[in-house]
Amino acid sequence: MINITINGRIVQAEEGEYLLSVLKREKIDVPALCHHDAVEPYGGCRLCTVEITKKEWNGWSDYVTSCLYPVEKGLIVSTHSTKVNEIRKTILDLYVARHPNSPEIKELAEQYGVFETTFETIADGDNCTLCGICTRICDEMGFHAISLVGRGHGKIVAPPLNEAPPDCTGCLSCALNCPTNFIKFKDEGDYRTIWGKKFELITCSQCGKKTITKEFAQYLSDNRDIPYEYFEICDECHRKQTALEMGKIANWTREEQS
Amino acid sequence: MKKRFIVNPSTCTGCRNCELACAFVHAENGKLGKSRIYPIDGGFKDLWVPVACLQCDDAACVKSCLVNALKRNPETGAIELNHDICVNCKACVAACPFGCSLIDEQHELIVKCDLCGGDPACVLFCPTKALQYKPIDNKTNKIAV
Repeated sequence: MINITINGRIVQAEEGEYLLSVLKREKIDVPALCHHDAVEPYGGCRLCTVEITKKEWNGWSDYVTSCLYPVEKGLIVSTHSTKVNEIRKTILDLYVARHPNSPEIKELAEQYGVFETTFETIADGDNCTLCGICTRICDEMGFHAISLVGRGHGKIVAPPLNEAPPDCTGCLSCALNCPTNFIKFKDEGDYRTIWGKKFELITCSQCGKKTITKEFAQYLSDNRDIPYEYFEICDECHRKQTALEMGKIANWTREEQS
Repeated sequence: MKKRFIVNPSTCTGCRNCELACAFVHAENGKLGKSRIYPIDGGFKDLWVPVACLQCDDAACVKSCLVNALKRNPETGAIELNHDICVNCKACVAACPFGCSLIDEQHELIVKCDLCGGDPACVLFCPTKALQYKPIDNKTNKIAV
């Protein structure tokens, strides 16, 4: 354990731990769009930038993305100094110009006093910030169904060749973790559509509730050694079944005692 | 000393105090949480079974988690879900054969019983001692008398 100073307060941290996780643990509100604890840090959105300095640096300081900076002994961090707020304001200003229709970006920008962008807006701009959370989570889960495609202005998140991705199982992890809710999906009746691929949902054989997709259940039973029968009924019916099974045993012991 | 969560359906009256206690303990931002324990009709006269996570040894939820958000706490023996890592894929909800991984619609989270970190609130509120949290013998793995 080492001691670091954050906003004038001495805080304990593990050596080599990333600065952003220390800030989160200390409940210091640092904005971040591209961070998710399930995946490795990326340093894409630049919003978690903080000012760091050390006693031996003689008044010099540096600006680093806290999600990628491992803490060291004697680090002095300020998360909301004037300069840091200026940097964040500029970044958010650019985000608002690029994604003028995103309510999530707008809300974050307003927290930092950016109500209107000073740059030219892209009126028909989409809400994808290219943070890569979706693709990184997809890779982490072992599907590799989508990735960042193209370069520069043409960079987008897409499945291979813009066709229905063969490796996608319709787990929705990409859509549910998107910081700007850009990835769209549809659950209609027995089917779920995402990335242009149609999946059949499992219907609970007892109550008719829809659970996960058949492809996802098949993937889990093939790769994770879980019997496929487990997925055939929903959680509520599973609980009822458990109560009935345990009830039989309880009733049996009750009769035995009386 | 190791402790174990014990359910005794024969003394459960189905008063659902445990459900209420659980929802209050897991309340966040002024909203009640999803209860992790449910007393359900056991199929016989005057028989209720409080169904909560059994903290299985070879748990289907842990096996189904593709991002390793579910880990066993060595101190309490409970399988705990790290909400920061969880990606909401609902694999554990579908995989649990006892239906004890739940979806909290209000907070948009997946939840499961974590034994309240070693002091279960449902046990404190059970009026008939159908729920108990007792120390177990390390050698025999049975409830110490």
